[in-house]
Amino acid sequence: MAARATVEPYRPDWRQGRVMSWITTVDHKRIGILYTVTALVFFAVAGILALLMRAQLAAPDQEIVTKNSYNELFTIHGTAMIFMFIVPIWAGLANFLVPLMIGARDVAFPRLNAVSYWFFLFGGITLLLSFLASGGASKSGWYGYPPLSENFYSPGTGQDLWILSIHLVGISSLLGAINFLCTIHNMRAPGMSWMRIPLFVWAVEIYSALLLLVIPVITIALTFLLLDRQVGTHFFIPNEGGDAILYQHLFWFFGHPEVYIIILPAMGIISEVIPVFSRKPIFGYKAIAFSTVAIGFYSMLVWAHHMFSVGLPNFLNIFFMLSSMVIAVPTGVKIFNWIATTWRGNLIFDTAMLWALGFIAVFTIGGLSGIYVAAFPVDWQLTDTYYVVAHMHYVLFGGAVFGLFAGLFYWWPKMFGRMLSESLGKAQFWLVFVGFNLTFFPQHMLGLLGMPRRNYTYHEHGLWYAYNLISSIGAGIMAIGLLLFLINIFKSRGGPRAVNDPWLGDTLEWYTTSPPPPHNFDRLPYITSARPLRDLRRRIEEAGA
Amino acid sequence: MPPPVRRKIFVLVLALGAALALVSVAHTGNGGFAPPEPKSPNAERINDSYNWISIFALAILVLVEGSLIVFVIKYRRRGRPRTAEGPQTHGATRLELIWTAIPVLILAAIAGFIFYKLPGIQDVPKAEAQGGPLRIRVDAHQFYWRFTYPNGAVSIDELHAPVNRVVRVEIHSQDVDHSWWVPQLGGKFDAIPEEPTKTWFRAEEIGTYKGKCGEFCGVFHAEMQARVRVESQDEFDAWVERTARQDLGRNEWVGVCAKCHGLSGNGGYGPAIANSSLLIQPQSLRRLLLEGQNTSGGIEAYMPPVGRGWTGEQFRALEQYLKAVVYKAAGNGG
Repeated sequence: MAARATVEPYRPDWRQGRVMSWITTVDHKRIGILYTVTALVFFAVAGILALLMRAQLAAPDQEIVTKNSYNELFTIHGTAMIFMFIVPIWAGLANFLVPLMIGARDVAFPRLNAVSYWFFLFGGITLLLSFLASGGASKSGWYGYPPLSENFYSPGTGQDLWILSIHLVGISSLLGAINFLCTIHNMRAPGMSWMRIPLFVWAVEIYSALLLLVIPVITIALTFLLLDRQVGTHFFIPNEGGDAILYQHLFWFFGHPEVYIIILPAMGIISEVIPVFSRKPIFGYKAIAFSTVAIGFYSMLVWAHHMFSVGLPNFLNIFFMLSSMVIAVPTGVKIFNWIATTWRGNLIFDTAMLWALGFIAVFTIGGLSGIYVAAFPVDWQLTDTYYVVAHMHYVLFGGAVFGLFAGLFYWWPKMFGRMLSESLGKAQFWLVFVGFNLTFFPQHMLGLLGMPRRNYTYHEHGLWYAYNLISSIGAGIMAIGLLLFLINIFKSRGGPRAVNDPWLGDTLEWYTTSPPPPHNFDRLPYITSARPLRDLRRRIEEAGA
Repeated sequence: MPPPVRRKIFVLVLALGAALALVSVAHTGNGGFAPPEPKSPNAERINDSYNWISIFALAILVLVEGSLIVFVIKYRRRGRPRTAEGPQTHGATRLELIWTAIPVLILAAIAGFIFYKLPGIQDVPKAEAQGGPLRIRVDAHQFYWRFTYPNGAVSIDELHAPVNRVVRVEIHSQDVDHSWWVPQLGGKFDAIPEEPTKTWFRAEEIGTYKGKCGEFCGVFHAEMQARVRVESQDEFDAWVERTARQDLGRNEWVGVCAKCHGLSGNGGYGPAIANSSLLIQPQSLRRLLLEGQNTSGGIEAYMPPVGRGWTGEQFRALEQYLKAVVYKAAGNGG
């Protein structure tokens, strides 16, 4: 231990303060925590925007917010949730965990890592401050279709700041992705072959590869849009010879892989949590790893299923229907394999496991409603209605956010060295689980009744009112549940200290202390399987016996 | 964890679910568990496809959620030590192949059904006995619908159509993206500038069908509603020959101007215009309607170019109506 002090790099005094040490840090664990905490703040802000929308829609013909404000709310809610919360928070968890899971000292490019965090932070701040721009924030949806997002129809600087903020976050994501890929490819512990890396690392590998492939495409689309608005080009202005549909292709070529960028790390977490709390190995490691790769590949071939109502040629509609259905197969494989993992296990219902089981329960519903919208004639009825809002939240909230909480409850002890309260965690799970289903299940019905998305109000009473009211009440219940998480965090600061391996985990991050020292590991065991910690426990048992 | 708490929540969820189901059953119609009752063959075939998918989706839902619940109950810890392990099975190739192949078959069955139904949904029937389909042009504007009939008649926000007649709807946009959607008469088709699309319907019953704009189009998106009034052939003929022209000015005012400026022109979202002398200056008014207004940089001062694509007749109808009814400046009896 004494030897460690000598290998610590020299730090000038000004970099050692409580604040300065965080600002100047290049340690992957600290950057991971910065990412995670910042993203959770954006989650809270974007969630409050959603609560305002649900308040406005709780009853017909309300005027709680103005029409223009409502349009700002759903635009910034969507943009912030996607770009400022869920994608960066995966970068946060991946930052903290990937080097620990593969037994590395840090990521491949620590300084680049710090830069990517700061780009993310300032991108997010730019987006939120755009509410103060002349004419307010962007009002043309998180997808910003031209011509509506062009200068003539969306005057004011809010739209330009929206573009700028996504550019900044895009740079952040690209740098992060390069870093993760280089780390995973080059810095694995001795013996850790590709079939022995944790499934979460597989997910981060594909997450990074997809980001690297598609972020440039949205950057191009948004740069063209910016040129249209500021320089007078007309890439997307139809009556001046531009093509509005081109933007849709570019946007969704990014936008659909983005959905899998969001869901794959959550699936990775589920693949870590379910085996540990079932006391079994994952059922079909290879099937789950390869299905991750398959989903990543097919996700690049389905983008125009967001555009079935555009009037594409028939052969394209058919191609995109079939490719969208194909992607359901590897997704189904994962779900069946997770359930098979619990078969004859010793199921321990700690909070992380509850979130993981909840993930399977609700993500299945999101997957099945996806079949309806993949069948393009049916999609002609469902697209741009609340049915899609319901479908997408079952996948992105019921999937990604449930997976996120499974991960946070599982790895919190490792990240902060303190245990979260199990009883508060369970109360939070049940409140969010019930609130989530109350919020989003009735939205399927609203869509089928004919309620379009992005309407600031509706005039219909009866069932429309009933379903909307239930949905708003559910949102309130969910908010209370999420508030419990905040309380849990504050309580945990004085809570019990975490041991190295509180859950009897399988993977390498549990080998070191909680929280880990700056250099992560004093020494590493030689990796002989995908479950090095279980191997180690067995060896100790056998030696003791 | 004490099980009673969880049981209470479980009961609560069940009760809420049951209440939801009851509410739905109590109401006429399907309560939002399938698309609205179809009144046109294309919409009907979409509903058939929806129901076909539902058979498989519900079966998979019951299978997955059922096995999840059974396993959760059956293999729970029940006092076993935390360290007790289950059987260390790493997979079963044959089983995994089976649950990869079955979804493929199910999806093939779904895709096959869609292919079978697709021509009946998408292709406009030739309707030779009726002398071909009735062609109606839809122009989507911020924030109203304009319908042009074969004889040049125009209506705003309300499409008239004869019952049991194949209507071919040609969809255009004059400004931003919109989407034409009357749920009971078929699916959505986008109105994108310079990229016309088409759809069709054959309404089987006389009545009024509500439609809404499906693609977010700006501040009044929610008010961009359409009605399809299906009437007998005689009624339709009388309307399209005479009434449409008589009502045009008023319909333009109500559908195009009044959504923002108020029914009497006293202002609403947009400024009060009843006293504006612009209303009786045809040249300047035309320029404003054609070009819109986008001067001060904020969305609040923005006016859409609502008159794009209008004929001289449409402008004249509005001008006459404005002069006769809306304009209230001193000296006009206001």
